[in-house]
This record gives sequence, C-alpha cells and structure tokens, in this order.
Amino acid sequence: MAQARQTTDVITGFDTPLLLSVLFLTGVGIVMIYSASSAIANNTYGNGYFFLRKQTIFSVIGGLVLFLSSMIPYRMYRAFAYILLAVSALLLVFTQIPGYGHAAGGAARWIRIGGFTFQPSEFARLSMIIYLAYSLSKKQERIREFSIGFLPHVIVMMLLAILIMIQPDFGSVVILGILCWIMMFMGGVPIKYLGGALLGLLPLAGLVMMSASYRVERLMSFLDPWKHQTDEGYQIVHSLMAFGSGGFWGKGLGNGHQKLFYLPEPHTDFIFSVIGEELGLWGVLLILTLFFVVIWRGIIIAMRTEDLFGSLLAAGLTIGISLQTCVNMGVAMGLLPTKGLTLPFLSYGGSSLLINMVAVGIIINIGKTRPHGRT
Amino acid sequence: MTKGTKTIKNKELFVGLVFSLIFLVIAGRAVQLHVIQTKWLTAKAESQYNKYLVTCGKRGTIYDANLKELAVSLEVMSIGAFPGRMEDISQNGKKMAKILGLNSKKLTKTLKSGKSFVWVKRKVAPNDVEKIKNLDVKGLEFIPEHNRFYPNMGLAAQVIGFTGTDEKGLEGLEFQYNRELEAASDKFIVTKDALGRRFNSSGSSVTGFSGNDLVLTIDKRIQFIAENALKEASEEFQAVSGTAVVMQPDTGALLAVAHFPEFNPNIFKQYDRNVWRNRAVTDPFEPGSTLKVFLAAAAIESNVCTPNSIFFCENGTYRIGRNKVNDTHPYQWLSLQQIVKFSSNIGAVKVSEITGKKLLYKTLTNFGFGKQTGIDCPGETSGILSNYNTWSSIDTGAISFGQGISVSAVQLLAGVSAIANGGKLVKPYIVKSIISPDGTIVRECGKTKGRQVISPETAEKIKVIMSTVVTDGGTGVNAALSRYTVCGKTGTAQKIDKGGSYSNDQFTASFVGFAPQQHPAVAVLVILDDPKVNHYGGVVAAPAFKQIVHETLNYLNVEPETDSNDETILLAQRIEAKR
Repeated sequence: MAQARQTTDVITGFDTPLLLSVLFLTGVGIVMIYSASSAIANNTYGNGYFFLRKQTIFSVIGGLVLFLSSMIPYRMYRAFAYILLAVSALLLVFTQIPGYGHAAGGAARWIRIGGFTFQPSEFARLSMIIYLAYSLSKKQERIREFSIGFLPHVIVMMLLAILIMIQPDFGSVVILGILCWIMMFMGGVPIKYLGGALLGLLPLAGLVMMSASYRVERLMSFLDPWKHQTDEGYQIVHSLMAFGSGGFWGKGLGNGHQKLFYLPEPHTDFIFSVIGEELGLWGVLLILTLFFVVIWRGIIIAMRTEDLFGSLLAAGLTIGISLQTCVNMGVAMGLLPTKGLTLPFLSYGGSSLLINMVAVGIIINIGKTRPHGRT
Repeated sequence: MTKGTKTIKNKELFVGLVFSLIFLVIAGRAVQLHVIQTKWLTAKAESQYNKYLVTCGKRGTIYDANLKELAVSLEVMSIGAFPGRMEDISQNGKKMAKILGLNSKKLTKTLKSGKSFVWVKRKVAPNDVEKIKNLDVKGLEFIPEHNRFYPNMGLAAQVIGFTGTDEKGLEGLEFQYNRELEAASDKFIVTKDALGRRFNSSGSSVTGFSGNDLVLTIDKRIQFIAENALKEASEEFQAVSGTAVVMQPDTGALLAVAHFPEFNPNIFKQYDRNVWRNRAVTDPFEPGSTLKVFLAAAAIESNVCTPNSIFFCENGTYRIGRNKVNDTHPYQWLSLQQIVKFSSNIGAVKVSEITGKKLLYKTLTNFGFGKQTGIDCPGETSGILSNYNTWSSIDTGAISFGQGISVSAVQLLAGVSAIANGGKLVKPYIVKSIISPDGTIVRECGKTKGRQVISPETAEKIKVIMSTVVTDGGTGVNAALSRYTVCGKTGTAQKIDKGGSYSNDQFTASFVGFAPQQHPAVAVLVILDDPKVNHYGGVVAAPAFKQIVHETLNYLNVEPETDSNDETILLAQRIEAKR
C-alpha cells in the first residue's frame, strides 16, 4: 500500500539550509586547509598551494557529485544494495594487493586510481548504510526475530569489519559498528539483542585494543596526554595548545603556530585544532552550529519521509556524517583517544569529501521526494 | 502511518537529540579550552615556539701602544643541526664526521637523539666549514661565534692573559678588564617552528654589541726586545725564570713586561699554570742590593750624610750581635757613593745605622714599598715591609741591602723611576685608553699626578751615584752603553730555601736602572731567578739590561748624549770587516 502512494511523487526544491551549510563548510575547509597546509606543502613539495589546489579540485568534483546524487532517485539504490556491498568488499581486498593498494603510516587503507588515492573503507560505510536501510525496511514485519532482524546484519557488518581490520583501521571499524548499532536500533531491532551484542562486543573490543601496542599507548596517552607529551600524547597536547592559545577571537586566519610542524596532520585529522587556534571559540562554535544544522536537517528529512527505506537511509547517512564529526572533534579536544578520522567537509582528502557529498546528495534527494498529497 | 513507522520516527528523533547532546558537550569542552584554560595552554604553547636567542657581539680587541693587535676575536662558524629537517642522517652523518674528524657513530647517534637541535661541532675551521657547506645537507645551521686569538703567540702573554672557551677573561688584562672587553649579549625572543626555523624575524636583529677595545702602553717592539734579551740571558745563565720590565719613568707607562719562560695563550691549557701569571706584578721577591739606592736616598734626603761621607767597611766582615755581614770584596773606607758603586753590604749597614730605621722605613714607604702600586693588573702583591718598630738591628741592616724585605718588580721599577723622574713617584699603568667600538675614547688612563717622594736635588745626587755603578770598578759595568750614560744598580739576593733560611746557592740576580741620565727615557728592571751559571746581578742581569736599554733607546730614537764619532768609526770598521 505504501508502494502505491510513493509512485506518484512530487519533486520539491533542495533543502536549502542543509545545502548551504554543507557548501559553507566545504568553503571554510578550503580556506583552512590552505592555512594549515601551506608550510608543510612548501616543505614537502616546494609549493605552498599543493593541498589548496587539490582540495579545490576535489570540492568542485564534490559539488558536481552532490548535484548528481541529488538527481538520482534514491529508491534506485535498493536494487544495488548487495552489489554495492560486494564492490566494497572487493575494494577492501584490493587495498591489500601490492600494486593496487597504497600504504601510508604502516596501514594499507588506500587504493590508487589514476593520480588519486581512494579510501575504500569510506565507500564501505556508505554501502553498509544503503544495505541496512534496505534490509531493515524490507524485514520490518519480522524485525524482532533474532535470525532475521539481527543476525544477518551483524554478519554482513562483521565481514566488512574484518576486511577493514586487516588494513588495519580500528577507528573505521568502531565507527562502522556504532553506525550499524544505531541503525538497527532505529530500524526496530529489539534492545535485548542490541544490548547483548554490546555486552558481547566489549570484551572483543578490549581484546582488539590490547592486540596492538600502539592502541594501548594511544589509550594511555589519552588518559594523561601531558605525561606523554613527547611521544604518544604529542598530537593531543599540541592540539589542546592550539585550542587554548586561540582564545575567544583566535589568532587570526593564517596566524596559527601549531600547524608549523608542531601539530601533525594539521590539514587532515587536526584541521579542527587549526580552526580553534586561528578562529578561536567563535569559529569553533560556528562550525559546530553548521554541523548541528546538517544533523537536524538530515534527521528532519528522515522523520518526514513516509518511505521507510528513505527514512532509514536519510537517518543512517546523517548519523554517518555526525559520528565522524563527533569522533574527530572529540579526538582533537582530547575527549576521545586518537583515531585517524577526518572531519567531514573540512579535512583535506578526496575520498572522504566525495563520499560525504554523495551522502548529502542522497539526503537531499530523499528530502525533495515527497509522497503525493503531502508537503 | 503504521505503529512501526511511528516508533522508527521517534527513535530517529531520539538519536538526533543524543547527537545534539554530544554537540553540547563538545561546545562545553571548547569553552573550557578556549576560555577557562586559555592562559595555561597559551603559556604552554608559547614555551614551545618562543625560543630565547642570545646573540653576543665581538669581544674588544687589545692593542699595543701603536694599535698593533695583541688579542683579537675572530669570527668562527659553529655547525648545528636540526635533525628533523635532515635527510638520510646516517649517510650525511658519516660524510660530515669524516670532514670534521669526528666519530661517525657518535655523530649519527647525536643526530638521531630526537632533539630538535644539536651541535655538530663548535668553532670549526673555515675550510672545513666550506666543505660541509658544499655537502649541501638540509637542516644544518651555521652559527657565527667568536674565538679569541693571540696573533703574537707568547708575546706579552702573561700581561694580556687569556679567555676561556666562552670568551670570559681568565687571566691578565683579559680578566682585569673583562667587563670592558666583554661584548654585550642581547637576549630576545624568536618564534620558531617545530623544525627550529625562525619564521617571525620582526623586531629582532642578530647584531650584538661589541666590547670596548683596550690600548695598552705596551709597545710590541719593545716587548719583543725585552723578551728576546730576557730569553737569551735566562738560557745563557740557566735561570729558572726571569722577568724584565720597561717603564717610562715620567709617566709610569709600562712599555714592556717580559717573562721567561713564555707560553702561548692560544693553547694555554698545554702549559703549567705557574707560567700564566704576570709575575712582575704578582710575585714578591727579595730585591737585594738594588735597594741600596733607596737607602742612599733616605740618608741624603734627611741630610744625615752626603754622597761623599765615608764609612769604615770593616775589611769585609761585620758583626751585628750574633750575626755576621760579609762583603764579597773586603773594603776599608768607602764613601756613600762607593758603597753603592761597589755594593758593599757592610757599608749599607753602616749607613742605615746612622740614618736610623725610622727614617729608612719612612723613605721606603714613601717610595711605595709595602703597598700595592695600584697598577691595573690582577693579583698585585704589596710586597712585605714590616713596620720599623718590629725591626731588630740585624733586620735594619739586612733591609739596607735588600734582604728581609720583599717587593714586586713593578714596585721596584716604579721606585727607581721616581729617582729618574726628579724624585716624583708616578703610578705605573698598562692600559693607556679604552675605546668604544665606534671609536670614541671611553677612558684615558695614566693621568695621575705624581707624588714628590724626595727632593729633585737628592734625586739628582742619587742619579750621579747610580751612574758610577756602571763605570770602571762598579758592579754594573756590563750595563754601560757607549752613547748614553746609564744609571743603574745591581742586585744579588740570597733566596730563602725550603728550610726558611737564606740559601747559599740560590740567588735572585737583578739589575735596575734608567738611561739616559739627563732625561731618562726608559727605566728597566731585569730579574733572573735562580741562575745556575753565575749569580751576580752585574754578570747575569746587567748585559740583558744593557741590550734592552740600547735597543729600546735606538727604537725610540732617543738622541745620544755622548759624541757619536767613536761609534761611527766603530761602525765603519765593522762594515769594513764584514766585506
């Protein structure tokens, strides 16, 4: 019956607050990436504009991708849910094949396509959201059954998680896990299973944590970064200094100090710290407000959508972005242990930006697809 | 809307609210960091990127009287490294170690120590610096520093002294005038990135402030003359050590202060620290018979006797209580003038007996004995002259021929200079002027007024007496010059041995005097400590004195007093002979 109504959709306009927030964030990202990276780019590539130029190209492509994905009727993805999963798994496997994969910092998380490197775990997250939205909406009648509403989703998630874990990228696995958990919770999977999974996963997560020495060190440094400020706590200490020395008004655009080789990855994982130092508290609160708008437009679109798949898809994509945002900010501010996660729209990085642009495009498409007779 | 759909919407709302709450926490954390902890974190951050840089200017130069360099600071390069910017540390470390003569493993270890800045090598020779620069290694920093250099090696080394590695004066004038010479250091903040590069150079310049220059009264040429003569004499007579001082009698300016053995201040650590001292100022010694001129001055000034008053010299042996005073040659009757000329100890004792210890003491203190001269050199001794109340009759007798009293070389020469200078004692000095880096004179020294210690008439009489010393029969004939009249006095003092009594085989041989008699241009003192071959001042020290005076007067173009015809003929004959 729901199917019948949805065939006569009316196409309304773009969700303006969402679109403007995302575009504004991307613009701020370009400016801050330039400020954060020019010294490093100059040092490494002899060209201060290196990252600025690339990010500008990514942003233009990202804008196009956003526009295109907002044009594609979201229901089409239902048909591709499994194919996308398979492609994700394949791409993840590819990262481990020498010649295709691209390793950096001891982890093989990327594959090289042309001149660009692409991070399949980002794509896998998107595929997982589409799959869950499709599967959870399809199985609504028997969602409360363990073998139907819970087990298959967990198995698919675990498969992807294992593939990501090989890289290794513990941070992405945690994000994926939390994301699935929240989506299953929203989709109606009984709390008893979800709670049980949580209890069952805790020792497992602990085991994984302890299996790699750097993870333990990261956790220790998170608990007392000042004590470890010369080694494991180095990043976090310098990030905190960046925020603190920014004060209310900041040091002014371009005037930050921590990006000058003190703070590692100032243009990727710690772009928020550079914003904190150069733009101060008001800049940080502005960025928070923009993300707040993105989240709530996403949630509102999800809630307004009658179609369960669309609703869960919009919510899932929104939560994907929000999770990444909260974890990145939490790490930068010393609230969470260090994770190699980018800040959506702001951090330098093509695959992250493109995937998030696709996500926003899909949310916008869901938002403008209204069932007939409703506004 | 189905019930299921509705719960899903509610759950979506719930999740949105949860995320809003997380955002609130993040905003709260932002306020905490940006507002509450801002002071603390800002201080932490600034301590990271604000580095205090100390720049030091150039230490002042020490010049001789003619502005010839005696001590200079040369700019040398020190090589530091920011290992964070360096590529291929092992390979580059190996290459640099080879050039600089360092241990390659050690250097590589230093470079890999994880410090943001390390020294590769300090004060590197210029050609090595070039080689390192040619390697074109990234992350190297060439930091100019200064190295103290003494271009004349041992010349006047004991006077000039030397500096330590940090260019602080440790000895001599380098020590005494450290505050003047020292370059001002300027401390300022530079902001540096994590690789140690300065990126904010506003408001700070690296030019330091140079120290003031010293211009000495020492004349490099005269110093060389004195050192040369002293060295020859010391070696000839196998003296343990020697000192020669040349002074301008009317001003007190020291033209030369020579020491034997010499040392090279550029590598001072390789020498025994005992040779570092400016012994002419720091070391007291018993002057011996040279003191007789002051005895004569006391006697004549107080009208006790005239140069022609005669004294019975006891045929060479004279008893004072349980002590015996001997003369080298026995004499019967000698005038005061002859007592000085032949250096009769018994005669001196006789003179002191009629002069009285009080007058003798007063005259000696007037001439500055027992007190520091106030010369601007470190560690000056005041010598030992005990109060006359404590003198026994043998003490008085001994002091009259210069035993039982100790003086410094500079003190003695200043006293003799007073006689040359018409009875006016001037304070000896060694720094003529202090000049700031921009060329203005900071201080002009040596303008102290003299003090009349004996009347010009008495001084003139003493001069005449002293001029006889170098005439036939006098103890100082070896000091006589053909074209100038020399006034002088020999000194041969027994040294006190380890047991505390006077030694019979250790002597201090000396000669002090000035020339020309009419208008003395230089006063010279030569002391040889413990000469082995001969110990008489007239034999050991007088020739060196003569050589110094002769060459110095020539150098200073002092007009000869005597007719130079004889000399010219002699010279002509010599040239003839050479052909």
